[in-house]
Amino acid sequence: MVTILTYPVVYFLLELPKLIVNDAVQGDNFPRSIVGFDFDQIPYLVLLCFTFLFLVVVSNGLKFYLNVYKGRLGERMLRRLRFELFQRVLRFRLPHFRKVSSGEIIPMITSEVEDVGGYIGEAFALPAYQGGMLVVQLGFIFMQDPLLGLAAISSYPIQGYVIPLLQRRVVLLSRQRVKNVRIIADKVGENITGVAEIHANDAAAWHSADISDRLYENFKIRYEIFNRKFLIKFLNNFMNQLTPFFFYLIGGYLVIEGNLSIGALLAVIAAYKDLAGPWKLLLSFYQMTADVSVKYQTVVENFDPPDIHDTDRLTSDDTVELTGDVKFDNVNFSGGAAGQEVMDVSLTVPAGSACAIVGPDGSGRSEVLQLAAGLVSASTGKVCIGEHDLDKLTDATLGREIAYVGGAVHVWTGTIRDNLYYGLRHRPLIPPEREGEDLKLYKRRVSEAKLTMNPIYDLGAVWEDLQAAGADTERDLDEKALELLKAVQIDKDIYRLGLQSRFDPSMDDGFADKILSVRNSLADRIAKEPALGGLVELWHPDRFNASASLADNLFFAVPSDPDITMDDVPDLEEVKAFLSETGFDKKLQQIGLKIAETMLELFSNVSGDSGLLGAYSFITLDEIPEFERIVRVAKSEQQRPGLSEADRSRLTGLAFKLVPARHRLGVMDDALKTEIISARKRFLNEVVKDNDKFVAFDPDVYLPPLTIEDNLLFGRARVDRRDARRRIDDVIRAIVEETGLRKPIIYAGFGYHVGVAGSKLSAGQRRKIALVRGLLKNAKITILDDIATGMTEDDKSLREGLRSILAEKTFLYGTSNADIAAEFDQRFTFDQGRLADKG
Amino acid sequence: MTLEAEVEALRKVPLFHGIDETKLRLLAFISDRTEYPAGERLCSQGEEGDCAFIILSGDADVLVETPEGEKKVAQVSENSIVGEIAILCDVPRTATLVAATNMDVLTVSKDDFLKLLKEFPDISLEVMRTLALRLERTTRDLADARRGAGAG
Repeated sequence: MVTILTYPVVYFLLELPKLIVNDAVQGDNFPRSIVGFDFDQIPYLVLLCFTFLFLVVVSNGLKFYLNVYKGRLGERMLRRLRFELFQRVLRFRLPHFRKVSSGEIIPMITSEVEDVGGYIGEAFALPAYQGGMLVVQLGFIFMQDPLLGLAAISSYPIQGYVIPLLQRRVVLLSRQRVKNVRIIADKVGENITGVAEIHANDAAAWHSADISDRLYENFKIRYEIFNRKFLIKFLNNFMNQLTPFFFYLIGGYLVIEGNLSIGALLAVIAAYKDLAGPWKLLLSFYQMTADVSVKYQTVVENFDPPDIHDTDRLTSDDTVELTGDVKFDNVNFSGGAAGQEVMDVSLTVPAGSACAIVGPDGSGRSEVLQLAAGLVSASTGKVCIGEHDLDKLTDATLGREIAYVGGAVHVWTGTIRDNLYYGLRHRPLIPPEREGEDLKLYKRRVSEAKLTMNPIYDLGAVWEDLQAAGADTERDLDEKALELLKAVQIDKDIYRLGLQSRFDPSMDDGFADKILSVRNSLADRIAKEPALGGLVELWHPDRFNASASLADNLFFAVPSDPDITMDDVPDLEEVKAFLSETGFDKKLQQIGLKIAETMLELFSNVSGDSGLLGAYSFITLDEIPEFERIVRVAKSEQQRPGLSEADRSRLTGLAFKLVPARHRLGVMDDALKTEIISARKRFLNEVVKDNDKFVAFDPDVYLPPLTIEDNLLFGRARVDRRDARRRIDDVIRAIVEETGLRKPIIYAGFGYHVGVAGSKLSAGQRRKIALVRGLLKNAKITILDDIATGMTEDDKSLREGLRSILAEKTFLYGTSNADIAAEFDQRFTFDQGRLADKG
Repeated sequence: MTLEAEVEALRKVPLFHGIDETKLRLLAFISDRTEYPAGERLCSQGEEGDCAFIILSGDADVLVETPEGEKKVAQVSENSIVGEIAILCDVPRTATLVAATNMDVLTVSKDDFLKLLKEFPDISLEVMRTLALRLERTTRDLADARRGAGAG
């Protein structure tokens, strides 16, 4: 529509120069009359030129509009395509993931389809626009002179034949390249996941060689592609340059003969110059079509396994209630390898009963449990719960009615809370309230999502299904989670994580107050019990704390941003100014220098691998040469070049880390301590008071940059008393229990970030969190495989706890241990994929 | 007390008699300086030893469990090292140590002490020499005791 609008504009743009040259410049019989107005030669020229300018603006404006439109269309299609691919990944049957890896899928969804998206925008607009352009321009040339027109298109047949021939080879090569890049991505991804193994086995050389080989392969293919691509380009350019030769020859002859005006020849040459653009674009469009269709095919064939689940199974929100017995009816299943088969199994687990599925790894035990959870489907036979065939049910039913926790659990990157309540986040339940700008942005987001057929679920909504968990309020849910955490015996760990976490007092005022009151009662107790007092040095504005670092003592405050480390502090503007004002900069550098000297003296002839350096020195092995240089420069009499700013900061940083009671280096005397205390007051008054970059130690204020534990103690355990830390911890724990603060601290621990895929948690902690996640779902059927299978007292009581929690529900428990299975009334024993024994 | 003062004290410990000063400084630095008020236990008989104690000031009672309860068998005081056997070879603590007065103690952990010995063989030699001397004296005392018993 808009494209067609541009054709006449372009035609006039071609026509006008001819008019200007022939009519306005060379013409006579002025004035000309246009729409009733008369124009002399010069005004006529001006009018034509301005019309030309106007048309240029219009044509470029149209071009701009078309490009933006194309871009938007392309991006929308790309979003839709990517989402479609991702959804297909979710629809894969689980065994399919044994064949494809994330390293391959990721580049397919991200980079490989990028070109496809760009192409979709072009796909309709480009042939229409450029093709039309070509026709208009050729038409114009033909109108001037048919012979010139023939000359203009003389090279097209050759280009049209030779280039596709060359192109075909390029297409094949780029297909190879795509596959190779995919393999590289896969290998890199695998290396990242297994990086610990690589180091542990000194296999870096092997992997490097492997990747290097693949990269060479890539280089070879690309080089080949370049060769061909530039050959095609060369041919194109040559042909395009050849045509003007004909113009000058034929056109010149025609002008001399008087059969063609100079203006027409100029216009034809100008038109031909413009012609090169569309023709080139059309050719490259052809190349792109070939290229993109290869890429598209290479991508799509990977996302279209024959046994993919229906979209409905994933997206449908229809649920049925799964009541009744779990029934296996002559079920066969093969995971594609030995020890992953289930052969002709028929069994019934009555609703509401607990049952052990027993068998060693490879006996089909895990497969039976996954079949019962609807995670994999039987190849023949039926798995039913009550009346319903599991294979015919939607994810919405399976995921809500059945809780499955297998041997290999996954903990998501995020907080512990995110992970615990993960099993309750099926659909957004309570939309957030939005107004003003927010609402507008949200509406735009929704309308875009609809246009691209993406889901319009709102991430900002409340997703936790409280009812499913049997809770009324979020507090309730927290309580429930805590109960379960206690039942699986991980509450102590979470409590400890809670103590180590930081807490934002603006979220919950009451909690900070409670911590402060514990801090006070702890201080009281310490004041009363001399034995306890000997273990701690509390922060006191007028006293030097020998168990704390020099920086803590000097500033008596901490940076509000917990990410600022002691190494960064000397470089802070405020600190720098303060130090130079008080003359502390020189003193600290002297102290730092003394520390550095002592460290070098003590450790310079200690070998790096002895391990002595790491544990006690301020300086790491790598830093020794650096500090050797600094000490040498500082000691030399010559003033220049002297120490650089950075060197000074390093020395200051060293001094900041000094803990006098631990590092008895003899640099602190009483005079210096007094000085530090008076400087501390100045720092508090001048810097901290009206600067929110620091938070002062104040017994009546909660300090958000410190951990909850540090806030409770408000001091330092003495480093010169044995086990002071542990003994103080015991006291803190006791007070926390007395004041009922344990629970809030555990809740604070819910906010602990578990690291990438839970890497900050131990394997046991990850399993227990996954177990609580499963139990919180409060599902009718709970299936646990290989969980708490130890014979220790802890595991035994955990299993008892599980059975009582799941007393009224159907409970399938997978284990390889017959003694554990004996704890269950009902047992099915598997051997080599066959049901060997019922009991 | 600073590192220098600790080195002075270490020099008076027979075990470290022939060791040069920089290494004593290193030993002092990698040790933890700990205070024990009177009555506090340094270690208990039977537990696994993870550190040796070098007494800088104060005294400690050495107690051994007997059927009648704990019994004081000796006292250790300034400039002596105790508990070194437990960190050189993996045997449980042979006695309980209780601070008799307020004490100032350097504790050197087993790991660090072994690392130090590995790093500087001359320290090992010195330690070996001192232990051999002790063994020799014990053997002689034992022989004397036997002879005394035989004579009497």
